Amino acid sequence: MAMPLLHRRDLLRLSAAGLLSGVSVPWFEALARASVGRPRGKSCILLWMDGGPSQQHTFDPKPGGQFRAAPTSVPGIRIVEQLPQLGQCMRDMVLLRSMRTEINDHYDAKYLLHTGYRRAPGFEHPAVGSIASHQLAAANSDMPAFVTIDAGYDLRLDGGRSYRNVPGYLGPQHAPLAVNDPARGLENLRAAGNDLAARLELLAAGERGFSEEYALPNVSARQAAFDRAVRLMRSPRARAFDVEAEPARMREAYGNHRFGQSCLLARRLVEAGVSFVEVFHRGWDDHDGAARNMAQRAPWLDRAMATLIRDLKDRGMLDDTLIVWMGEFGRTPGNGDGHFCNAWSTMWAGGGIRTGQVIGRTSETGRNPGSTIEDRPISAVDYMATLCLALGMNIRQDFQAPGQRPVPMVDHAAQPIRELLS
Amino acid sequence: MTLNRSLFLVLGALTIAVTPPGASAQEPLFERDVLPVLTKQCLGCHGGLRQKGGLDMRTMALLLKGGKHGPAAKAGDADGSLLWQRIASDEMPPGETKLSAAEKALIKQWIARGLATESQTAKDDDLLLAPGVKHDPRVVAAAIDKHIQQRLAALKREAAPRSDDIEFLRRVTLDLNGCVPTGQEAAAFLDSKAPDKRAQLIEKLLASPRFGEQLGRTWREWICPPELPSDMNGGAQPHKQAFGFGDWIGKQITKGATWDKIVRDVLTVDGQIKDNPHVIFYSLVGEGGKATPDGSARATASFFLGVQMQCAQCHDDPYRNWAQNEFWALAAFFGRTQGDFNTVTDGKAPPNMSKRGPKLPIAKGAEIVIPPSAFKNSGKAVQAAFLGGKSLDPAAEKPLRPLLADWVTAKDNPYFAKAFANRTWFYFFARGLVNPVDDLRELNPPSHPGLLKMLGNEFADSGFDIKHLVRSICNSEAYQRTSRASMKQDRQSIAAQTAAFGRMPVRVMTADVLYDSLRQVYGDPKLDLRADDAKGAAAMGQAAQIADPYIEFLRRFGTNEDDTTDFTHGIPQMLTMINHPRLLSGSKALDAFRKTNPTPEQTVEWLYLSTLARRPSASEREAAAKYLANSQNSYVGVLWMLVNRSEFLFVR
Repeated sequence: MAMPLLHRRDLLRLSAAGLLSGVSVPWFEALARASVGRPRGKSCILLWMDGGPSQQHTFDPKPGGQFRAAPTSVPGIRIVEQLPQLGQCMRDMVLLRSMRTEINDHYDAKYLLHTGYRRAPGFEHPAVGSIASHQLAAANSDMPAFVTIDAGYDLRLDGGRSYRNVPGYLGPQHAPLAVNDPARGLENLRAAGNDLAARLELLAAGERGFSEEYALPNVSARQAAFDRAVRLMRSPRARAFDVEAEPARMREAYGNHRFGQSCLLARRLVEAGVSFVEVFHRGWDDHDGAARNMAQRAPWLDRAMATLIRDLKDRGMLDDTLIVWMGEFGRTPGNGDGHFCNAWSTMWAGGGIRTGQVIGRTSETGRNPGSTIEDRPISAVDYMATLCLALGMNIRQDFQAPGQRPVPMVDHAAQPIRELLS
Repeated sequence: MTLNRSLFLVLGALTIAVTPPGASAQEPLFERDVLPVLTKQCLGCHGGLRQKGGLDMRTMALLLKGGKHGPAAKAGDADGSLLWQRIASDEMPPGETKLSAAEKALIKQWIARGLATESQTAKDDDLLLAPGVKHDPRVVAAAIDKHIQQRLAALKREAAPRSDDIEFLRRVTLDLNGCVPTGQEAAAFLDSKAPDKRAQLIEKLLASPRFGEQLGRTWREWICPPELPSDMNGGAQPHKQAFGFGDWIGKQITKGATWDKIVRDVLTVDGQIKDNPHVIFYSLVGEGGKATPDGSARATASFFLGVQMQCAQCHDDPYRNWAQNEFWALAAFFGRTQGDFNTVTDGKAPPNMSKRGPKLPIAKGAEIVIPPSAFKNSGKAVQAAFLGGKSLDPAAEKPLRPLLADWVTAKDNPYFAKAFANRTWFYFFARGLVNPVDDLRELNPPSHPGLLKMLGNEFADSGFDIKHLVRSICNSEAYQRTSRASMKQDRQSIAAQTAAFGRMPVRVMTADVLYDSLRQVYGDPKLDLRADDAKGAAAMGQAAQIADPYIEFLRRFGTNEDDTTDFTHGIPQMLTMINHPRLLSGSKALDAFRKTNPTPEQTVEWLYLSTLARRPSASEREAAAKYLANSQNSYVGVLWMLVNRSEFLFVR
């Protein structure tokens, strides 16, 4: 369905006549509602396992490995037996088993896998969430385009400094809105004091006077942003930030774990029109071996992700919502005690891509199975290009960085994984 | 590079060839005639916010550069110019509104006549002030105004009226002291009848240590990268050290240090951070928390010389005429500089530059070897040389940085004084005489060449006296104009008037200034606007992220340092201002004022003076009284309303 989109200037004009006047104008409300929907386009839930999850303890088990492989709902595809619910969702999932990304340092790898670029001195590339905000989000939505959710950590906090999503040259309006705790939702969303209406009324007259005296774009932009914030506070959509509003049964289904509740919050946000949600869970840098830690993580991970896939499907949202599970690299074949960027796995689900398949293959035999790629190596730029394409972006475009320097959205050398895209 | 230069010459020749003498007043000019049309019709998609098709149409240089389909315009050839093709066929703009016949005719004529620009035709090279002597600031201010008046006249534009006392008081206090005036200061200035009270106020603000502090932290903002390095510090970012650097610059200014002295200290510092806070400069502009020759060279070029060399690091820069060699020749001065968060010193050997690449030959003396990260000419040795100057003796063993500092800060350095004057101008007017502020070069001429030259001369002739330059600018009529823009005025003409410095822009308070202003009106030096859950975050391993209220405030309320008129706050900032309980939970400054037993009227007046630097209007008094008549409401609600006003956040 095509959404009637308002021209930015019109909306600013409307806004001047809108909330701050203290009067509700029905046609304004109607137009504003029409304009805030996300135009048909995809959204993405990025599940980021910070520190580097082990592929052999998740989606690329090997004969003789620490975790046994089990069949899934797709004949011929096997993942570890510790993830049975995900195994049942295999028809909606794709395993990318041949990631080759060249960087084994935590922070540099996080940067590379979030931006598609190596870190360069004196320069910040935009994170993929900010790119999605720039490319996919409707202007003037009453919901933010890019939200990050801190899902905490379980065992201990290692894996280096967290990547901080930056919008770089796309501009601060594409910075993420951060939820620090899924149980608390968006900070400052509720009014302090009980006289908000009276204070807003007191404010409105002065604002009107100022915007007449200073009829300038930045002044109207500020008043529009203020209106958006008030609209968000009053919007039924803002309830999306509140997982408590979800039926107990559903909260239970996602699991009583901060990661599960973060996945639930992500689903609620996407449903309310957010384009890109990054849920990050920290502490996956298993230098003492992955088996024991993964055995502890598997139950809540399996439950949350499988529920997320099923829930989106039940709501008819799975085709429009791409789920991406990954870290900055994998772990050394065998016990997984080291960083490993030569042959590791990520998992995608939904998003209208060709699911129920595996991309790439790592070695099954030899002294150290899984240490080499035998088919279709995927570089970081290939990966980024595929992700942007899967979300419906035109990847052959340049952004303008400071110094009149054109920077491609994705390196032009990228070879997207065509067999993934329908 | 040569290609571009010859293109420039060809364009120049064409302009001369097709412009009949004497007809220039009628000729369409880029700035005066074409840019307003482009602003209205094109810049929405090809401007600051968006650059569809890679095309940015804001300046002549950008038009010539064009987008992914090539240059937008060819001098003298309308039919061969993409700009004309697209608008003639109504392919552009894509919306329902197309260019009018008159607008089309104008653009066609402008292209056909050779893309004439105001800056080519203006003859304002007359400096108005003799170089070689320091002038009285009032004389400099008058010369500034004459330059601007000449340009406005050429553009056939009027200047906006003088600001009223309220606008001026609030603006100059925010600009020079980084904080709103107190209620008492505001009342004293507004009530003063002294004819020279503006000049007096400027002197008072310049004499305050807050002047140095504000300029110091402004430079810190310019120099610090958006994400500070942390590799050297167990993951914690060097915020404290960066603040220490800003404070250090501020203290130097307060002590009366001149700009050449400050820059010399930065360029030659050697030792520990505990004695020399400016040591951090090198690791801030380096990589991974360590000094690098290329990082130091880039920063020296950008901040102290006003030239961009980042492109030349890896290849010859066709837009800026810098050869890759020239970049590395500058970097060679820092070839042996080793630095981290704690120390900077010149070692015997260069720092290891061969990371992630083949082993490189060791550089000798004053030379540097281009590292593999440059992807062109890696492994080539380059001799230290001053920009556009002679090389150093290859065997030179003496410390190199002092030699560079001598050259950079010399009175006749072609860049140094202009670069500072241009940045300072940008600080006040939200627009440099050259933009971007660090892009001084032939193909990117200043909007007011004579003015920039004059300010550079005056700054150098005053011995790089920072306060002299600031005093001269603030005393000019240009700085003291109103920023008011009524709805009746045409947006384009307002924008053009502002760009020509005929009207002051309305800027957004930086995070530092907003924080200090809030702290002052709430009487709370430790004002904490973090979320409740953030306060326990240190225990959750996020110490460096959100453990400090000041740092977190700066991160949240950061503004666009390249365009200080750009309003960048979004929902998180708005929600913080609207709903954070702290902003409704009382003000010690207000409590102190209430101890003097003022009337309710006087309290409301004090609140207005302390935030907006003015007294409330009759209707504002009435509205506040009505609000306060409800026994549930209190003065802090009025204060909340005032700090949530656009009038509070903007520097008008």
